[in-house]
Amino acid sequence: MSAPKPPKGHFNILYFATASSHTGKDMEALPAPLPLRKLFDTLEERYQGIREAVLDHSLVTINLGYVDMPSSEDEDGEDNVTVIQEGDEVAIIPPVSSG
Amino acid sequence: MATQQPTQTDNSAQAQPPQTNPAKPTEISEPGIYVALTHDHLNYQSVIDRVRSPEAGAIVVFAGTTRNNFNSLPVQHLSYTSYAPLALRTMLTICRSILTKHGLKGIAMVHRLGVVPIGEESILIAVSSPHRQAAWRAGEEALEECKAKVEVWKREEFGGEGGGVWRANRDGAVGVKVDEPRIGKGEVDEKEDEGDSGNGGNDRKS
Repeated sequence: MSAPKPPKGHFNILYFATASSHTGKDMEALPAPLPLRKLFDTLEERYQGIREAVLDHSLVTINLGYVDMPSSEDEDGEDNVTVIQEGDEVAIIPPVSSG
Repeated sequence: MATQQPTQTDNSAQAQPPQTNPAKPTEISEPGIYVALTHDHLNYQSVIDRVRSPEAGAIVVFAGTTRNNFNSLPVQHLSYTSYAPLALRTMLTICRSILTKHGLKGIAMVHRLGVVPIGEESILIAVSSPHRQAAWRAGEEALEECKAKVEVWKREEFGGEGGGVWRANRDGAVGVKVDEPRIGKGEVDEKEDEGDSGNGGNDRKS
């Protein structure tokens, strides 16, 4: 998949497998910047139930690197500084099934 | 200023993942290693030739083929999708590690994407080593690592009202049914197999 460049002020988010089924999309552009810890809330607002059905079982990458999802209760934590930037490529990675 | 992602450019010393085109094979090679994703039929000879070496006394090839059932449910066909640039990067990382660990002369890993008719090869792995023991072990380990980590997803279509499911290798869990787009919760939760892990999730944390 080669995603088109996101519009100005946006990042791309890619949905695979169950994430794609749940959203009905392979990808979309969302407004940036967005703190990583707010990503799941943002998606839950748009796709009710996605957290429990998909996100809780999935990993997240930013620009092809895995990132730890900060827990939302820990808003002041040192680990919560990651911010998704304009032009970034974020992906929801459900459990894989190659082979 | 906003914080930089620590993960963005760490691996810049590695081979750059190529731009991916779903219609074309995508591959990375370096000495002793070849990884690829392709929509074409898989070819044993070419995979074997990728690892052939005058210093090798053994080549082991694993072929994964698409099965016509899952727990007795008839599967009509399977299709695979991937996050190609990331999947290739992960395949390369796995192959580098196994090449070194088992002293291999070569390792090749090719995964097919798109619809794979029942009974056809969806993955080929070939390894070569001076002696057979290392090749057997490396071949098995390469496959297990691939199934655990490579960002490829299998969808099984059961046909009729059975719809389809995204498979998860972990615990053999069934993902969300995909016969219809869904917004909101509905029966999704019932279709999730929580498995032993409690979340059926990926087993890798970075």
